[in-house]
Amino acid sequence: MTDALVCQDLTKRFDHHLAVDSISLTIARGEAYGLLGPNGAGKTTTISMLSGLLRPDAGSVHVAGHALAQDPRAAKARIGYVPQEIALYPELTGRENLRYFGRLYGLARRALQYRIAEVLDLVGLTGRADDKVGDYSGGMQRRINIGAALLHEPTLLILDEPTVGVDPQSRNAILEGVDELVAGGMSLLYTSHYMEEVERVCQRVGIIDKGRLVAEGTKRELVSRLGTSDRVELVLDGDLTAAADKLRAVAGVTEAVPTGTSSLRLLAEGSRHLLPTFIGAVEGVATITGVEITEPDLEAAFLHLTGSTLRD
Amino acid sequence: MSPSRRRPRPILALVAANLRRQARDRTGLFFMLVMPFVTIAFVGLALGGGSDGGTRLPVGVVAGNDDPVAAAVLEELAASPNLDVERRDTEEEVRAGVREGRLAVGLLIPPGSTELELVMTQTNGTGMAARGAVDVAVGRVSAVLEATRAAEAAGATPEEAAASVRAAREDLAGVEARAPDDAGQGTDPRGFAYTAPANLVLFTFINSMAVAAALVETRRLGMVRRSLAAPVRPSTVLAGEALSRLVVAVGQALLIIVVSALMFDVSWGDPLGVAVVVGAFCLVATGAAMLVGSLVRSPSQAPAIGPPVGIVLGMLGGCLWPREVAGETLTTVGYLFPHAWAMDGLLTLARPGQGAGEVLVETAVLLGMAAVLLVVSLVVFRRRAMTMR
Repeated sequence: MTDALVCQDLTKRFDHHLAVDSISLTIARGEAYGLLGPNGAGKTTTISMLSGLLRPDAGSVHVAGHALAQDPRAAKARIGYVPQEIALYPELTGRENLRYFGRLYGLARRALQYRIAEVLDLVGLTGRADDKVGDYSGGMQRRINIGAALLHEPTLLILDEPTVGVDPQSRNAILEGVDELVAGGMSLLYTSHYMEEVERVCQRVGIIDKGRLVAEGTKRELVSRLGTSDRVELVLDGDLTAAADKLRAVAGVTEAVPTGTSSLRLLAEGSRHLLPTFIGAVEGVATITGVEITEPDLEAAFLHLTGSTLRD
Repeated sequence: MSPSRRRPRPILALVAANLRRQARDRTGLFFMLVMPFVTIAFVGLALGGGSDGGTRLPVGVVAGNDDPVAAAVLEELAASPNLDVERRDTEEEVRAGVREGRLAVGLLIPPGSTELELVMTQTNGTGMAARGAVDVAVGRVSAVLEATRAAEAAGATPEEAAASVRAAREDLAGVEARAPDDAGQGTDPRGFAYTAPANLVLFTFINSMAVAAALVETRRLGMVRRSLAAPVRPSTVLAGEALSRLVVAVGQALLIIVVSALMFDVSWGDPLGVAVVVGAFCLVATGAAMLVGSLVRSPSQAPAIGPPVGIVLGMLGGCLWPREVAGETLTTVGYLFPHAWAMDGLLTLARPGQGAGEVLVETAVLLGMAAVLLVVSLVVFRRRAMTMR
């Protein structure tokens, strides 16, 4: 079976600005792929090209084996695109909006009615189907926004920041729905500013920065680039420089740096087991009054790879 | 398993969605379904309330009851198909009627005199037309008087002269005297016969411009971008948006034609000609709506810009008041815009015996304007729709 998405050397330039620089990525059938990047990294441009809204300057996109450039109808028919904004008619009901998109994708009348009912059930809006979308809450609008992309049962669902501006309860409902889709075998391309969403939903993650895909892999693979050291923040009373020297001598500690007038940052392997050793090592020069241990995570990997946090 | 599919009909889907949206806009519906008919009724009544193509021009006459010349003139005026004779008691009444536009012209016939005084305003086209018809009627009386004098000068008794002239008039009965400027044929109708086409042009355009707001909203919401992510061509989506506006414009025009014919007894003339002129004007309104909907950035800007523009063009085109009131300069300026051409076409067709062949120029001008507007608006719309979020 062909991959859900194969894109090779995708490139887009706006005047003198290289927005996307030779990005290649593959999403297997049934795989959920997260695309992370700071603002202006090229995510939206990449998604626009993958969904056929923007013509690339170079490179190719294949959706379920269909070339987007040569056979756009077949390729687009296999994509469900959920834009970041609520792209629905607020004056129409949820059902009418779904009917519009279903007709746009050529669903026959009976099949359309059936699918509308299924999708309304999936997004939990059967009871509000005949209310105007403009009267929905933000979370409900987000859910029907996703539902409109599911009517034609796409091979690949592209979700661009699907939980922006929703309350935690609605966000959870959306993520549960997405989990359900992935469990059902749908392929997913997911972008978000929320690292924990990507960690929860996606099996593989690509990190995009300045138009380039700087890293790609599973969460474990990306985090392993940082090594296996934990980051330990110590709060101390006493001589920080002397304490740092003594801590550097502890086996397993690779770095000990003062970060303020009363704090030190360590990089250490197995730091939880070394805490008594740390306390003993600084005895006589300082007293440890507080400890915070951070295990390696995707956020740290992202920071390491791009030099900025995701919400910068 | 994928749901069963048929060939996508995105244009129909777009039109259906847009018409539903329009149907839920209560303010928009008021301006489409109520306002045009209120205006037609009130302005039409103010202009005399006629609905028959309205070519009979009111002529106020002050004349003595026993004066033979006055009786002859009144008889000829009454026989004119273009004049509606209204007897007045005083000269002041006639002058006031002409000054205020209630009378096209006035005619003062002093008792025992053959010197008649015509009261009219120089800038009034209706007055000029009425003057032509009055001249014809007075000319006929004058000819009879001259013939009678000639017969008496040749030795006939007054009875013999009268009999000779009567015989001559009967011989000439088949000869039709026409007003020099084709009175009644070259002038605009009055009453509902004028306000119905005027408000068709006015409201079809204004409501199309108001509908442009929905187009801006469609762009702002990202609906166009999202629709383009479906397996449809960009040109198809653009055609769907344009067709939606055209359906609204045609619907508005048809509604005014049907309701004005039924309620105000307005005769629109040759159906083919009316269809051609109205169709061409609806295309112009669609092009203008698409252009405004493509150029402005916020949905509140479209109704702020569109209707005022429509009203100004309506003024220049003679939709708000009879064109003869506007004067030559404004009327000439009006021909730079579509309203005046549409009015020309519709008013021409409302006259008896006029068909599509008589409005070819008007139709060609309107279609040319529509083509320019549609091409420009679709280019701008496509560019904006692809970039705006």
